[in-house]
Amino acid sequence: MNLMAAGATKLKEKISIRGLNFYYGDNLALKDINMPLYDRQVTAFIGPSGCGKSTLLRVLNRMYDLYPNQRAEGEVLLDGDDILSPKQDVNLLRSRIGMVFQKPTPFPMTIYDNIAFGVRLYERIAKSELDDRVEQCLRKAALWGEVADKLHASGLSLSGGQQQRLCIARTVAIRPDIILFDEPCSALDPISTARIEELIDELKQDYTIAIVTHNMQQAARVSQMTAFMYLGELVEFDETTKIFTSPKEKRTQDYITGRFG
Amino acid sequence: MPVVFETARYRRRKRRNARTSLLSLSATVLGVGILAIILGTLVFKGFTGLSLQVFTEMTPPPGSSGGLLNAIVGSLIMTGIGVAIGTPIGVLAGTYMAEYGRYNKLTMVVRFINDILLSAPSIVMGLFVYTIMVAPMGHFSGYAGAVALALLVIPIVVRTTEDMLLLVPGSLREAAAALGMPRSVVVQRIAYKAARAGIVTGVLLAVARVSGETAPLLFTALNNQFWSTNLNAPFSSLPVVIFQFALSPYADWQKLAWVGALIITGAVLALSIAARWLSSSRTSQ
Repeated sequence: MNLMAAGATKLKEKISIRGLNFYYGDNLALKDINMPLYDRQVTAFIGPSGCGKSTLLRVLNRMYDLYPNQRAEGEVLLDGDDILSPKQDVNLLRSRIGMVFQKPTPFPMTIYDNIAFGVRLYERIAKSELDDRVEQCLRKAALWGEVADKLHASGLSLSGGQQQRLCIARTVAIRPDIILFDEPCSALDPISTARIEELIDELKQDYTIAIVTHNMQQAARVSQMTAFMYLGELVEFDETTKIFTSPKEKRTQDYITGRFG
Repeated sequence: MPVVFETARYRRRKRRNARTSLLSLSATVLGVGILAIILGTLVFKGFTGLSLQVFTEMTPPPGSSGGLLNAIVGSLIMTGIGVAIGTPIGVLAGTYMAEYGRYNKLTMVVRFINDILLSAPSIVMGLFVYTIMVAPMGHFSGYAGAVALALLVIPIVVRTTEDMLLLVPGSLREAAAALGMPRSVVVQRIAYKAARAGIVTGVLLAVARVSGETAPLLFTALNNQFWSTNLNAPFSSLPVVIFQFALSPYADWQKLAWVGALIITGAVLALSIAARWLSSSRTSQ
């Protein structure tokens, strides 16, 4: 792990969050968050329910824009550009920052179309090339073997774990730089969970990844960096090994040892 | 079980339960029984008069034989136009309320007014169209009838469209938005797709509802004894013919009225079954 520690300082900041406050109406849900997401690393967000970790994730792709009375202050820089700026086109932003949700959300269409749909939205692409892309993404999501012979069955006919991998394939298909995972395994059985974790580990070679999880073993297994949040504040952010072996803050220590939360 | 078991109290509770069960049961029997009597009478009186002639000949003058062809075709045309006008307006308004203006004041106001329209007596629609179309034009017309029916279709379709779109889980919209889809694509390709069966069901129910309406047509399309597809003139329709023939003193007219009632009821029943079937195939998907 020394190698890792030495490398950490040289990591490139893909996203830099600076002085971020977030409001639900008048309710301050995130308080002055400052932290980076490093390029091609997995950053885990842990903390008790309501601590703001999902909220933070939803700021990164401006998902909160869909709802009235939610607003963010501060700066979130993606490769140096502020994505909170009103000039930022949110649809383009979301095509660069993909998101996988807690519950699998396949669209009511075929497995093939679930993936092809997002691609067609942004690219003029020949049928054969699209076929290749679909296969490639399904392979990447470790789903190809299970669905190769039923690409034109409904996406809703798959099991929960398969649906979640379909959602990951769909996200990968539009070639984002960053993928946000919002508790991607909390609705899945242990076997499906293990597959998704393996997948995240592979995906980090090409993508910057942020994952919110309630499962601390999961955070320890999949991430290189971990952020511990509590009551809307970022309590501690460090390498995952440090957070789980020698946290600096007492609150982090208490949480990971199960004394509260 | 409580330490001191109050037998009297428990017996009272049991008696009350038996009483309420009995009341609900008799209310059900009464309701279903009346419905059965209505349907039975309809089939009994209407079925004997049912023949090919009914579908091939025009409404007759009293004392001679005839059918209901012009009335059936008239109803189909006016209902068709009414639904064709009302459905797009209703679907678009419902879409606005569920997808674009969900948190708006305007949506709240429109929803409130729409609920009033939904329960407004249909004769009011007839009078309204009479004032804005029939009176200025100087004569009754098929157009006016179709518009009156459209006004009845709109609130039904608005309501079902909005309800069905609201049933589409927000997570599905978020997932679509997370792929970078603009709002318009999310609505057209995801939300409509998920809510399609429900919206179609709403339109079918609207058709079923307006195809039996008499009151709004009395003031707008009136009636026409003869074959006519001129929408700019008084227009025949099944409900109005039933109304007139049933009130007449002539036995053969009364008989045709029963036949017409049977046809309408059968058609509405078929539409309702189709709507049921559609919505159940949606849930089992």
